[in-house]
Amino acid sequence: MTPNAVSTGSRRTEPGRGSEPGREPAPSRRSVLATGAVAAAAIAGGAPLLTACGADGDTGRKDGTTSGKEAAKILPAYVPSEVVPADVPAAHGSAAGFTRAIPSAELKPSVAEKKGKGGALTVMAPFWGTPPAPDNPYYKAMNEAIGVQAAWQNQDGNVYDQKLGAVLASSDIPDLVVVPGWNLGGKIPSAIDAKFEDLGPYLSGDKVKAYPNLAAIPTDAWQRSIFGGKLRGLPMPASYVTNIAPFYRKDVFDAKGWQLPKSADEFLALAKEITSAKAKVWACADMTWTAWNMFGVLNGSDKALGWHLVDGKLVNRIETPEYLEALEWTRKLFDAGVVHPDEKAQNQGDTSVRFTSGQCLIYNNDLSHWYGKTAEMAAQNPTFAMAAMDIPGHAGGTPQLWATNPANIWSFVRKGAPKSVIEDALAIADFTAAPYGTEERMLTDYGVEGVHHTVKDGLPVKTDAGNQEVSSSWMFVASPAPYIAHPDMPEITKAQVEWQQRMGALTRKSSFYGLTVAEPGRWTGLMNDFEQLEKDIVRGRKKLSDMQQAVAEWKTKGGDQLRDWYKKLLDTTGSAAG
Amino acid sequence: MRKPPTTDRRPRIPLGRRLRRDRTLLLMTVPALVLVLVFNHLPILGNVVAFQDYDPYVSTNGVTAMLESPWVGLAQFDRVLSDPSFWDAVENTLVFFLLQLVLFFPVPIALALLVHSLLRPRIRAFVQAVLYLPHFFSWVIVITVFQQIFGGAGVIAQALRERGHEGFDLMTDPGLFKFLVTAEGIWKDAGWGVIVFLAALAAVDQSLYEAAAMDGADRWRRTWHVTLPALRPVVALLLVLRVGDALTVGFEQLLLQRDAVGPGAAEVLDTFVWWTGLRSQDFSYAAAAGLIKGLVGLVLVLTANKAAHLMGEQGVYRK
Repeated sequence: MTPNAVSTGSRRTEPGRGSEPGREPAPSRRSVLATGAVAAAAIAGGAPLLTACGADGDTGRKDGTTSGKEAAKILPAYVPSEVVPADVPAAHGSAAGFTRAIPSAELKPSVAEKKGKGGALTVMAPFWGTPPAPDNPYYKAMNEAIGVQAAWQNQDGNVYDQKLGAVLASSDIPDLVVVPGWNLGGKIPSAIDAKFEDLGPYLSGDKVKAYPNLAAIPTDAWQRSIFGGKLRGLPMPASYVTNIAPFYRKDVFDAKGWQLPKSADEFLALAKEITSAKAKVWACADMTWTAWNMFGVLNGSDKALGWHLVDGKLVNRIETPEYLEALEWTRKLFDAGVVHPDEKAQNQGDTSVRFTSGQCLIYNNDLSHWYGKTAEMAAQNPTFAMAAMDIPGHAGGTPQLWATNPANIWSFVRKGAPKSVIEDALAIADFTAAPYGTEERMLTDYGVEGVHHTVKDGLPVKTDAGNQEVSSSWMFVASPAPYIAHPDMPEITKAQVEWQQRMGALTRKSSFYGLTVAEPGRWTGLMNDFEQLEKDIVRGRKKLSDMQQAVAEWKTKGGDQLRDWYKKLLDTTGSAAG
Repeated sequence: MRKPPTTDRRPRIPLGRRLRRDRTLLLMTVPALVLVLVFNHLPILGNVVAFQDYDPYVSTNGVTAMLESPWVGLAQFDRVLSDPSFWDAVENTLVFFLLQLVLFFPVPIALALLVHSLLRPRIRAFVQAVLYLPHFFSWVIVITVFQQIFGGAGVIAQALRERGHEGFDLMTDPGLFKFLVTAEGIWKDAGWGVIVFLAALAAVDQSLYEAAAMDGADRWRRTWHVTLPALRPVVALLLVLRVGDALTVGFEQLLLQRDAVGPGAAEVLDTFVWWTGLRSQDFSYAAAAGLIKGLVGLVLVLTANKAAHLMGEQGVYRK
């Protein structure tokens, strides 16, 4: 099991489904290394035309969002940079793919001089797996190269929301705090506004040009980083194409001659054929996330993404017939006994382990698992092969997919931090946001040559020390435009990007795409129970009619008012989706 | 002047002299006292958030935020009491408690009698070790072991399938969950519960057994007339404590299995408070629910204590 692998199986190991119905599992370390964010192409012309709504001055809590002219005032300038041309250029919202290793001698520096002033600062970040020792050689090398003394406080990523809630309520907030979007539940958004510094004075407009790698971050990732009317977040950009890929065991499928399903019915029929409980083989894991995509349900990874303007009226994903159909279909899978029993229990370890061990032949998770699991299995099982199937449309044909957010992890600087600390934090961000083909990127991803990786046949290969110490944490501070680079497996790199491009061509953006929307406090808890209800329904513990009732209650308890609130927001600001 | 001898036989010594005399002893209690004050008593003040619309982020830290959060009177209690999922949690809590009382509570007593009847020290030590050991396993391990044996892909289900029968899945059946929880509890902690009863048994005057045997009492009669009456005060004490603790029926165990059967079957008051408070950050709401739980627990313990007195037992305390 990869140290940073994230399970889809149990709630507590499933950061993607925080307090709201979401469907993005947290990135594993590999996903972080692998996926970047895209968005650039998409956003270029379409900077959202929104203005602040419900904003009530500079301080205090605000609800609403900021874009358009208001946003233009604070967004950093965009100065794209390309050190090495992508082997698979980004298209349809995909990441850029790099399949070649760049020899050390050809790596270019992207940060002119050491930007850090040598100051000490503390950084809190989520970590999945066993974090390295605080003063390990990799951290030291990074600190040395950047010119800072960052002390890392790695916290268990699976329960990061609890830690975050407590830390933000204390008077001892670390200088730099990483916050994933799926942890923005409850009162956290208001805490972001109250507890973190406005970086606008350092980054807005042309000021960002002092940090060239930050200037190369696509604008829509910055747009997502506006909290409470201020540019507070340093983003980790991501492709807006769905990150949930349905993986299948290609080796087994090929051997048995199974064809990939082209519709929901074919999927079920195939699953029945595959399942042989006697031999301890079940067809699939909990496929709810894939069902959302097959049936064209609006994205649930963020509350605002779940709203879409249909014939002049805003509709929420939970009100759509597709939502119920997707649940009904997933329930059929559980009913038919084709889902691995431990998936029903949800508290039994990692789904991907059941997949790699052959107990379960289809599962869905972050696209980065494609490389991660293949690399992990390469040594153990030479015949192992996996691939992501194209998401089938439920009735055959192609599905209607909905865009996810162009950035979903940020780091924030503590409010009241001295200027020198803020500048050191930005120095770290500028370093970790270096693009592929630079010395900074190489150090961040692979550590020090000879210590954390060796170069073999022109390919960097991590050593044991590298596997233990080189971790995602630094990339959470800020990342370049989305990219996927696995020179050791060029075929899989290419396949990942192409999958994103095929899915990206089917992807639309819902009305509030790319915006960070703060709902009024009294309604933030309205959606809390839906995720659990979904799980109960597909597992047969509750009925679809219970969901219909819950939706009816949701409307009367505030859902309809929330609809009006969002409509007003849309009317006064306009849509970002175009 | 002296107090009546029944309450205090010692002559009254001035406070100053007593302090001087007990100085060392008092100093030795200070760390424990501070510990209890800081971690048990001070946080009680935090309960005021139950009467507020508490937002921990309005101020520089969570404590001063209490001063700045608006007061809402009993509104949070209204919300809790009109929340159907709260009442579901109450119902589950009571069902778990009653099942544990009926099925779990007698098991350690029976085991204690069994162990007590073993005379060979080596066998006895071995049995005790086997009984105590599961107590030291964490719930994660206990539940995983249960899952591996009784789960849908567990050993038993798989063995059945290999022989052409239908498999089964005990671990995800919401209807059986209450029994499952009780069974897990017994497996893990019944052995540990033996210790107190064994201590009580060891304190029984052996001459009572001899006298009873002289009077012709057989083994069963000796148990009935000597052993069980000797255990009665301990049983009463533990029963009172257990009833007072009725609303606490296991947190980790239930939290770990909440997903397997859904909150409809597994949510109890403690997990409810955790879920609403920490996961949804509705601290005021969770504090109100916790306060209600505390009050009910207080009433229960007083009632049980009274009942123990009526039955002629000492109970937990006596005025």
